[in-house]
Amino acid sequence: MKSEILYPGAFPMARVELGNGEQIKAESGAMVACSPTIDIESKMEGGFLGALSRKFLTGEKFFFQTLRASRGAGEVLLAPTVPGEIVVLELDGVNEYMVQKDGFLAGGDGITIDSQMQSMSRGLLGGEGFFILKISGKGMLLLNSFGAVHKIELKPSQEYIVDNSHLVAWSTTTSYNIEKATSGWVASFTSGEGFVCRFRGPGLVFIQSRNPGGFGAWVRQFIPVSE
Amino acid sequence: MAELQPNALCFGDEFPASGMPCLVQIESSGLTVTYALNHGGAESRSESVRFADVSVSAGGLNHDQLVLQWVGAAGQRTLYLKNPDVIRAFRQMAPDHMSRPLEQAAEQVRQVRQRHRVVWGLVGGTVLAVVLGLWFGSDLLVELAVSRIPAEWEQKLGESAYREFLAGQDVMKDGPAVDAVKEMTQRLASQVPNNPYRFDVTVVKSDVVNAFALPGGYIVVFTGLMKKAESPEEVAGVLAHELNHVLQRHGLERIIKQLGFVAVVSIVLGNPPGLGGIMKQLGIELMTLKFGRAQETEADMTGLQLLYQAKINPEGMITFFQRLAEKDEGRVEWLSTHPMSSARADHLKAKLAEMPKQQAEPFSFEWPKVRGGLGMSSSSAP
Ligand SMILES: [Zn+2]
Repeated sequence: MKSEILYPGAFPMARVELGNGEQIKAESGAMVACSPTIDIESKMEGGFLGALSRKFLTGEKFFFQTLRASRGAGEVLLAPTVPGEIVVLELDGVNEYMVQKDGFLAGGDGITIDSQMQSMSRGLLGGEGFFILKISGKGMLLLNSFGAVHKIELKPSQEYIVDNSHLVAWSTTTSYNIEKATSGWVASFTSGEGFVCRFRGPGLVFIQSRNPGGFGAWVRQFIPVSE
Repeated sequence: MAELQPNALCFGDEFPASGMPCLVQIESSGLTVTYALNHGGAESRSESVRFADVSVSAGGLNHDQLVLQWVGAAGQRTLYLKNPDVIRAFRQMAPDHMSRPLEQAAEQVRQVRQRHRVVWGLVGGTVLAVVLGLWFGSDLLVELAVSRIPAEWEQKLGESAYREFLAGQDVMKDGPAVDAVKEMTQRLASQVPNNPYRFDVTVVKSDVVNAFALPGGYIVVFTGLMKKAESPEEVAGVLAHELNHVLQRHGLERIIKQLGFVAVVSIVLGNPPGLGGIMKQLGIELMTLKFGRAQETEADMTGLQLLYQAKINPEGMITFFQRLAEKDEGRVEWLSTHPMSSARADHLKAKLAEMPKQQAEPFSFEWPKVRGGLGMSSSSAP
């Protein structure tokens, strides 16, 4: 399995080459085009209940698409819904990442996707909801972001503060606490900016250069309100 | 060399920030960490550390990984272990002086998990409590809704249903039976303190064995029921029971229960007259409202009390209920809206036994004349 990012920047597309019999899991709707040797099936990852809980608790798509090169080698073109970068990570079996619900684009067959319950404070204040995806296993992982992806490398005990709405993915060797960004609690709840994550290394934290919620609010002010 | 199967991540100055995959092997004196230098691990480098040089803590996102730290030839090393087999091996082989920090690390993991469970347990418990509260607390909400409905509005609702019903019936306007029922009602009602209702009784010529009370105090007694009675006290027993359905506003409770939770909330928050429209839409008929078991018991008990206060012998109520419930008495309409159970009669008997004996006062009418007015022979036998 080989991958290549086409048109890097705001509107990239991932090209994944699949050998005969190889398959890749992708967020449903991510497939743009593929060779005629590829079969597309919608699969409920983690069984019906798993898929259901993902749907309602993380807002993640109910189905993942499985793209299988069952009739010979071929290629698949994948793209996310939102404008933004795609990054490719190679998981070696010991690396694990937590991925916020919109950050997953695709993963190789050896990749395992679990919905994980967060602690109460992280779920309430972190802005990613109570369930996030835990990606483990061995193989290729494609993440997508809103805007550009920035990688923060943390040495052991090194700290960094990230606004929670800009989080994409982070290694499970990191730990973080939720803190309020401003000094007053009222301001934290009303400014919308509110809460930040204080990350502590070692490990990687991937952040996105744009905030989807903030962008949505910005767009809404131009939409005429009917009636 | 065979391909390296990493089981841990090691962090150090010359390693990538995401950590260096490595193979950790636990030995009696310490551990050996093997790093793959190129992809696939064809070339590798090993590093051995003695237990004495290692410090232990818990780390990672959920504090569930074992973190080993030491300073080696290449500088500071931080090793993250999460493979349970490796962690177990480490705990077994580690010398005694490490057992304390190890135990502390394990304790930290347990505490985090425990806290996690407690918080989620609390949330789950709260959700369950709210659901159960809505389920079992609905009676309280119904009571609250009922208390918000003014008596005048209740009277309007009852009166319109009363007029509508009587329009299609053969009403007995006067005669000894009508006088008798009016006297009984008067005697009972006069014993009710702060009675907000003006009770209105109508006798309907029909062989149906029934009697009902509409919200607001509108009472209908069928001649069929009076014919089944062997004494005026038996009829008075039914009236006392019906009066208490009105006084306790049981009809409204039933309506609101049938209309459902949304109606309850709208009544509590909004204006009640909208209820009439909803009832019409749902085709709820006041006359056919079936009372619940708790309401029957309440009407029985308060009815018995009322009979006692009015100095009417309550035995009549009990014998009449028992006789009506006997199977060979044929179809008794009254029982379909007032579900009878053997427990009801037993309950009444027990309650009556507790009350001090008193001398009943007779009615002013003559029972044989009443029976005559119903078109029956004047003998007291049915
Ligand atoms: Zn009843």
